[in-house]
Amino acid sequence: MDKQPHMRDDEVLMRVRDLKKHFQVSAGFFGQNPKFLKAVDGVDLDIRRGETLGLVGESGCGKSTLARTLIRLYSPTDGVIEFNGADLAKLKEKDLAPHRRDIQMIFQDPYASLNGRMNVRDLIAEPLEIAGIGDDKSRTARVHELLEVVGLNKDHANRFPHEFSGGQRQRIGIARAIALNPQLVICDEAISALDVSIQAQVVNMLEDLQKELGLTYLFITHDLSMVKHISDRIGVMYLGKLVEIAPNNALYDDPKHPYTRALLASIPIADPVEARKDNQDQMQGEIPSPIDMPSGCRFRTRCPLATDLCAAEEPELKELADNHKVACHYAE
Amino acid sequence: MTDIHVTVPKEKWAPVDRGAQDAEFIAAPSLTYWQDVRQRMWRNKPAMASLAFIILLILAAIFGPMLTHHTYYDQDLKLSNIPPIFEVYKTEPTDASAQYMFLNSGNFKLYEVAENGEILGLVRAKRKDLMKKQHIYVFGDAEVRVDYSQLPATLVDGDGNAIESIGYRWNQTNWFGTDSLGRDVLVRQLYGARISLTVAFVAAMVNFFIGVFYGGIAGYFGGNVDNVMMRIVEIIATIPLTLYVILMMVVFQSGFLSIIIAIGSVFWVDMARIVRGQMLSLKNQDYVAAAKTMGASTKRILTRHLLPNTMGPILVTLTLLIPSAIFIESFMSFIGLGVSVPMASWGTLTAEAVETLRAYPHQLFFPAAAISLTMFAFNFLGDGLRDALDPRLRK
Ligand SMILES: Nc1ncnc2c1ncn2[C@@H]1O[C@H](COP(=O)(O)OP(=O)(O)OP(=O)(O)O)[C@@H](O)[C@H]1O
Ligand code: SF4
Ligand SMILES: [Mg+2]
Repeated sequence: MDKQPHMRDDEVLMRVRDLKKHFQVSAGFFGQNPKFLKAVDGVDLDIRRGETLGLVGESGCGKSTLARTLIRLYSPTDGVIEFNGADLAKLKEKDLAPHRRDIQMIFQDPYASLNGRMNVRDLIAEPLEIAGIGDDKSRTARVHELLEVVGLNKDHANRFPHEFSGGQRQRIGIARAIALNPQLVICDEAISALDVSIQAQVVNMLEDLQKELGLTYLFITHDLSMVKHISDRIGVMYLGKLVEIAPNNALYDDPKHPYTRALLASIPIADPVEARKDNQDQMQGEIPSPIDMPSGCRFRTRCPLATDLCAAEEPELKELADNHKVACHYAE
Repeated sequence: MTDIHVTVPKEKWAPVDRGAQDAEFIAAPSLTYWQDVRQRMWRNKPAMASLAFIILLILAAIFGPMLTHHTYYDQDLKLSNIPPIFEVYKTEPTDASAQYMFLNSGNFKLYEVAENGEILGLVRAKRKDLMKKQHIYVFGDAEVRVDYSQLPATLVDGDGNAIESIGYRWNQTNWFGTDSLGRDVLVRQLYGARISLTVAFVAAMVNFFIGVFYGGIAGYFGGNVDNVMMRIVEIIATIPLTLYVILMMVVFQSGFLSIIIAIGSVFWVDMARIVRGQMLSLKNQDYVAAAKTMGASTKRILTRHLLPNTMGPILVTLTLLIPSAIFIESFMSFIGLGVSVPMASWGTLTAEAVETLRAYPHQLFFPAAAISLTMFAFNFLGDGLRDALDPRLRK
């Protein structure tokens, strides 16, 4: 897709085109006038093999919905999810099965994502069991191995999730996610619920795992400093659309979309000299409802640069610099 | 990334001690979920006492009636309304052996008893002096008079002096006394337990199967399926149970059957609502999503993830439904809609006891105690189960 062959890992693992997920939120008494919440509304995205793609955006902009649609917990309203030669968006549940093991997810809440009635061994062995890999004994051996990999030990296998701290539970969740050697791991706020000190540990572990297992991460967060640390590229979402996507440095050093600039301006900066002077980057107002989206550019209600053109025409995601795509009429 | 050079002195870097990490663990032995539940249940004394009581009650209801020659329908009008405990008097005629007796102060009858409290029979009065309000009994050369000129009635000798009692005795023939038709209260009580517990358990089972199935489907599928199913539940829930039982009685004649059917077909709505609510909230839990991303089948999600996590509330609801079923049955029988004579349930026993409340208030004690103790026991057990099943309460 991208014409810059200089990057070694340019091979696209997952190609997402015009992906939409609309939730029906209300209907008349006999089903007329249904209203739709456009949580994801036309996302184009390439996830390259071996990279960590960060995804940021305000709460409610559709990051989790995008993640859950990519992993087919939701069936998309429209669009294409090309992965390993198949279009996941069109597949029926039973045809998805062979692809399930290649995409795994690490969830935000390490308390809710582990079934409290199962012990650690059964939790981590479950994906193996469903995929029909090995027998009971070899699965147990694999569980012990995975526990070591994520920094726990095999004595923990018989314990139950409630006996562990949040960070340890997240390690269990990670062990479960990598049990089948997936190609793509989606981390939806995987570290947001953890203590700051534990966050760093878990992030480092995720990076190590990536090197060892050749994983690709889609790393969703609203912690801009963490995403900078871990990502190779970062995508910025606003109201169900990708508004800017660029390599890590480019995004931080040369943000082109007014929304990205506003987001970066909102990071608390310890050094007051470094603090941004241009108040121009501050956003105005509240995020509009995803049910009644503004016409044209959806950021125009809060954009300091908005003009009539912005209200009339929706800007397309265009490549303005090397690997740097922006959806704004006035970006350059 | 921008190059930031931060120098940290080398000696400040040290590997993390693995032991420090493990110190986070509570050194509790590793238990499976149900082992853990059993342990916590065991430590809950009121719940265990309740469980013991319930088991004893069930055993007594099953085997008790077999161990006695009394039956629940045998009447003996001569021995009616005998209390379980009475005051024994002794008279010593010079020409015959000593006589023990007790006075039933409710009907002024005198009964011959053995010294240990066994009832030998009703004694016939020699004469009745209606002017003085005395019944005169003669044993050999001794005379005993029941004086009811003043209530409560007293026993006096021939000269009009009060006879001293030799103390209280436990009724050895009918441990709980007899009712107004001379039937053994204990046996009727145990038969009542059979009926009441049967109604309760049948109702509970019907609740369990219909409720879990119905609620499970509504909750898991959600949407319009859920909408329609829950409207039906609401309609059923608005039918007054009393009306329903009366209708059933018309159809089935038997009070017993109609009570079971009525309770069974109305009570499950609570269970269905609870299971549905559980399913609705649990199916959106991340661990269910995780199972889906692994490709788990619907069956696996239901049996491995959803049902085990609903089992706690289901069990608790079930144990708490039993006492209310017992109560409803007792209430229905009490107002005359329940089992018919000579069958007995705790409700009919209560109703019978209420008829003789003025003369023999003690007769109300046993059925009332049975109903309240059993309800207490099931409630304690239900609460204990709820606590034990909640892993967050684990110490
Ligand atoms: N199952 C659903 N049904 C209806 N609306 C939904 C559903 N899931 C999400 N939404 C809505 O879609 C929008 C996007 O939600 P989403 O959870 O994807 O946001 P997010 O970017 O992940 O936010 P956060 O940072 O808070 O996690 C929100 O307005 C949300 O209310
Ligand atoms: S298109 Fe217009 S409104 Fe949208 S971000 Fe650019 S300048 Fe702002
Ligand atoms: Mg989210």
